[in-house]
Amino acid sequence: MTTSLAAAPLVEAGRWDLHCPLWLLHRPGAPILSAKLWMRGGSSADPEGQRGAAQLLAGVLSRGCGPYSGDALADLVEGCGAGLRCEAAEDATLISLKCASDDAATLLPLLLQMVSSPWLVDDQIDLERQLNLQTLQRQREDPFQVAHDQLREQLYGAGPYGHDPLGVEAELRLIARGALQDRAQALGQGGAVLVLAGQIPDGVEALLLQGLEGRPWAPCAPQRRPGPSGTATASLATSCDETEQLVLMLGTTTTALGAEQALALRLLHAHLGIGMSSRLFVALREEHGLAYDVGVHHPARLGDAPFVMHLSSSADRAAEACRELLNEWQRLLEQPLSRAELELTLAKFRGQEALGRQTSSQLADRQALVLGHGLAMDFADRSLAAAAQLTPADLHAAARQLLGRPSLSLCGPATALAAAEREWQRHPLAS
Amino acid sequence: MPPQPVAAVQPLPDPQQLHLSNGAAVVQIDLPQAPVVCIDFWCRAGSARESSSESGIAHFLEHMVFKGSARLAAGEFDYRVEALGGNSNAATGFDDVHYHVLMPPEASDDALELLLDLVLEPRLDAADFELERQVVLEELAQSEDQPEEVAFQELLHQACGSHAYGLPILGEREALEAHRPDAMALFHRRHYRPERCCLAIAGPVGTRTDALRERLERSRLGQLQPGGEPETTPTPLDLQAGSARLELPRLEAARLLMVWQLPGAADQRTVLGGDLLTTLLAEGRRSRLVERLREELRLVESIDLDLNVLESGCLVLLEAVCEAEQLEAVEREVGRVLLELQERPAAAAEVERARRLVGNGYRFSLEVAGSVAAMVGNSHLWQRRHGLQAPLDWLQQWDADSLQRELVPLLAPERAFSLRAVPA
Repeated sequence: MTTSLAAAPLVEAGRWDLHCPLWLLHRPGAPILSAKLWMRGGSSADPEGQRGAAQLLAGVLSRGCGPYSGDALADLVEGCGAGLRCEAAEDATLISLKCASDDAATLLPLLLQMVSSPWLVDDQIDLERQLNLQTLQRQREDPFQVAHDQLREQLYGAGPYGHDPLGVEAELRLIARGALQDRAQALGQGGAVLVLAGQIPDGVEALLLQGLEGRPWAPCAPQRRPGPSGTATASLATSCDETEQLVLMLGTTTTALGAEQALALRLLHAHLGIGMSSRLFVALREEHGLAYDVGVHHPARLGDAPFVMHLSSSADRAAEACRELLNEWQRLLEQPLSRAELELTLAKFRGQEALGRQTSSQLADRQALVLGHGLAMDFADRSLAAAAQLTPADLHAAARQLLGRPSLSLCGPATALAAAEREWQRHPLAS
Repeated sequence: MPPQPVAAVQPLPDPQQLHLSNGAAVVQIDLPQAPVVCIDFWCRAGSARESSSESGIAHFLEHMVFKGSARLAAGEFDYRVEALGGNSNAATGFDDVHYHVLMPPEASDDALELLLDLVLEPRLDAADFELERQVVLEELAQSEDQPEEVAFQELLHQACGSHAYGLPILGEREALEAHRPDAMALFHRRHYRPERCCLAIAGPVGTRTDALRERLERSRLGQLQPGGEPETTPTPLDLQAGSARLELPRLEAARLLMVWQLPGAADQRTVLGGDLLTTLLAEGRRSRLVERLREELRLVESIDLDLNVLESGCLVLLEAVCEAEQLEAVEREVGRVLLELQERPAAAAEVERARRLVGNGYRFSLEVAGSVAAMVGNSHLWQRRHGLQAPLDWLQQWDADSLQRELVPLLAPERAFSLRAVPA
């Protein structure tokens, strides 16, 4: 099948002897190949008592597979000047390869080798575990990370989205090789998709299948199934830290990519947080000088994605910063965007799309995510068309339905926490 | 003959160079496949140009530029650029500052006019100045809340002393609180001169430059008056070797930070050699430092070695993250690895691995119009004027023997300043 998409490279879905869809995005220009193998089942699928297992497994997958020891694998990949990474995010485990096209025949078999015959050597598991534990510890230096972790707990509790993909220290220490082996055998069974972009060699299917060396690997095509949920009740959480600034994160849980009203939320994200003409940048930074860094965090998720406004402001301006942030959220609930604001938002939304199509990796990454979510290959183009039909009333309705009960997470010195807390208690959003 | 890196497969396009009648440099490079155009204005007006009373003013000015010009109201530039589907940003370094916009090709002409107007005739309104001062102070506070950044600043301060590379680009708080718009205007007039600027354009722009030249001659850039203070060469850096210990509140993991000096950016062959050597040492699981300290001895969570390309002298910065009680062992092993390279050249295969990583990393970066514009813009700003192929050719000139002879001695442990940062 060959399909042509406006403003996108030629797309071919080749014959494929696995149950995992393969998409090829041929791209003229630089002789570069990017490959992304997206497999549903990231940290949100960590079993009880094993939080951190998905990321630990992801780290170990590149420490030996098939005929290659960890060292031999690193020699092969680095010797080609290539990058091969495996990481677990909340919804999926993703293997990424980027290399010169001339090396594709050498390196492509590794993708399926990693998932079908990982070595999972005890010593390497211990090393990867130690590194993850150290990273978790170091992250506590960053007040943004502290506020973010706290908000995640407020929004998702002990649910599937409630922990850092790196894990929970006490549980990460105890994850045994057997548990990782079970998880490795399940890779792809929740749905997998492989996307290649760039200059793709002939006979790519055969190259990929070489990696299996006759071993079974039976993934299935990603289906459109609901992901984890969150809570949407207003709460306040504070973390005392002797910092110069107070970090404020105000957020709630919303909906999945591709769900009804998800597009309206993406436009609200663009309106509030993308670019220097964005509402938060102008209102909080340019008009009040309250912060250097302001923005919105709204990642694509299979389940109830977080929608978070954040900023950090000097401790002595904590009350004003908190009040203005809460007022900006309240404004979303009370006031529809003007027609001019919506036009600007749509222009940014289109601009972001163009910027997201610059490299082979960007193309492969985005398509793997969209297809992994069980959405159509032309989801981005359809979204652009659908966005143009949305009205200010549509965006306002989405805000009122999904953003009604935000929670506030604060990290900073005690006096600033107290000042911000007073603002929260007297604000309508807290009730 | 070593195998050719991927870059040899396809010739890279050469930028087209123009010089306007007032001496301003313009460089354009056609990237037919790129979906956006990047317009990148460079000026030799980094923090190294500040006098002692001007601490932080180069960066503060970069903020103020976005507050409008004689013809553009505050925020109007951002609004117009983003309404056309583009975006913009800027960055101030020690040596230079640059302002860039990424635009859909059909809107790039409009963006060019807007950018030049904004950068070359900033309004510096007094009320906006006061408000933006708060933003800059917030940026400083945010940076002070990251103990790792505090440690790096201390390392540079101790190693580089009163040289600009030892001083914070964001500036000292006291100086920031004292700055006035007229002093900033003076700084702008002194440094934003045609002979100190370069405009770089990369994207699907074709290869004709006649119309571009005509437009630019009539633009703010073409009308800029040359002159002002005579151009001076960058103050040479004389990095002091030594060591120090720093206790930092809120630090969760200890850091070993080390810094070495290499020749300045004018020596591009050595820059590429430095890139090759730091990659050989610390890029990837099989690099010497990562393999020894993280994989074998398991002393560190991570170890990185970065080359910072600077005009007065490049800086090689090492960061190892570890437990405080391992700091001594970490520093000892770093020293051992470096001494081993002094005593015996790296294997040819090891150099080749590093060459492939550097070459491919460079080639991959050329997929993005913004990276290409930044590379050619910076190169022409400092009158190096090389094409995109040149770095790959310089990379080919190094082998294990020349690395050992010329560069490894510069990374000797006794030539470094090292800082041990530990949790307070």
